[in-house]
Amino acid sequence: MDVPSADRPTPGSVDWPSDWLRATLGLLALRALSAGPSYGYAIISELERHGFGTIKGGTLYPLLSRYETAGLVTTEWRAGDGGPGRKYFALTDQGRAELTRLCADWRRFADTSTGYLDPERLTKETPA
Amino acid sequence: MTQETSDKKWFDQLVMELRLRQVHGSAIGDTVASARELLGDTGQRAEEAFGPARDYAAALELPAAPKHDWIRTALWPSLLGLLAFLLFNQAVVSWTRSELLLVSPAQAAFLATPVVLVALLPFYLDAVVRRIRVCVALAAACAVAGILSAVVTPTNQAEAWLSMDPLPWVVGSALVMVALSITNAVRSSRPGSADDVTDPLSGTADGTGTGARLMVQVTDWLFPLLALAMLGLALSFR
Repeated sequence: MDVPSADRPTPGSVDWPSDWLRATLGLLALRALSAGPSYGYAIISELERHGFGTIKGGTLYPLLSRYETAGLVTTEWRAGDGGPGRKYFALTDQGRAELTRLCADWRRFADTSTGYLDPERLTKETPA
Repeated sequence: MTQETSDKKWFDQLVMELRLRQVHGSAIGDTVASARELLGDTGQRAEEAFGPARDYAAALELPAAPKHDWIRTALWPSLLGLLAFLLFNQAVVSWTRSELLLVSPAQAAFLATPVVLVALLPFYLDAVVRRIRVCVALAAACAVAGILSAVVTPTNQAEAWLSMDPLPWVVGSALVMVALSITNAVRSSRPGSADDVTDPLSGTADGTGTGARLMVQVTDWLFPLLALAMLGLALSFR
């Protein structure tokens, strides 16, 4: 996955609560790899382009390192065209299964949370 | 230039922190290369992208050798080398003067001080590596113990606790130092050593230049070289 130069994200465009990002970054990183092998900056750019703000290398790489240890991703170094080499991360079958499971769980959690936070329900439950 | 300098310092700290965590050299090379790759892409400073090197090294949770593996592979051989070197120094002076090797309890205690300090290194290695003052204090304590051991050397057999023929001690300690140096030299010349920080793409070890190789050789043969210098001094001043 290469980063198209015309599609560069605007740095710091979104500022989500850090707790939310910390809780969901694993799922988002797996999703960013679902299209195919990718490298650090391309994953960061992909997430930024989709409105999650700028993820720091110091946050992303430890996560990917743990996923590699857990067998969810594999890594491969590829020589760059005249530039430095790149470390590509790719989902394993186990990683793909984990992404599917986490996506389903997330949807159920999001539906439950959205339903609970529904303003109409909030009004009905508020004592007069 | 300032960015290069601060990044170099950050990378040096990162390698040191990963080494303290007993991470394999190839995994350290991989970590360094991937961090450089991202910095090349973003143009950020290392500290800005990854935070403090110590925190980043901890966050990576890279697979490491058993925590005390280095004690068996590095500390015990070094300790044995130091002990042999100290014994050689005591014995060689007596031998060049054709005297008996005389040892008093106080002298033995002072000689044992550096050995004990090095043996206890696992308990304060982090402090030695991270704080130069601790390192200087340790070196000073060893030097003072060495000087004091020379001061309390018995001048006659009546003051001595032990009196021995120095030649077996000279030969024995020299053989131990040479055997340890040969073992170290063979280990460090072996390609793919766990200590080598290797580039993940080329597979070459960091610091394979002539200067770095010479430095490794000097380190491997440090005790025999120092012992030769001591022998030269003892022969000059007899």
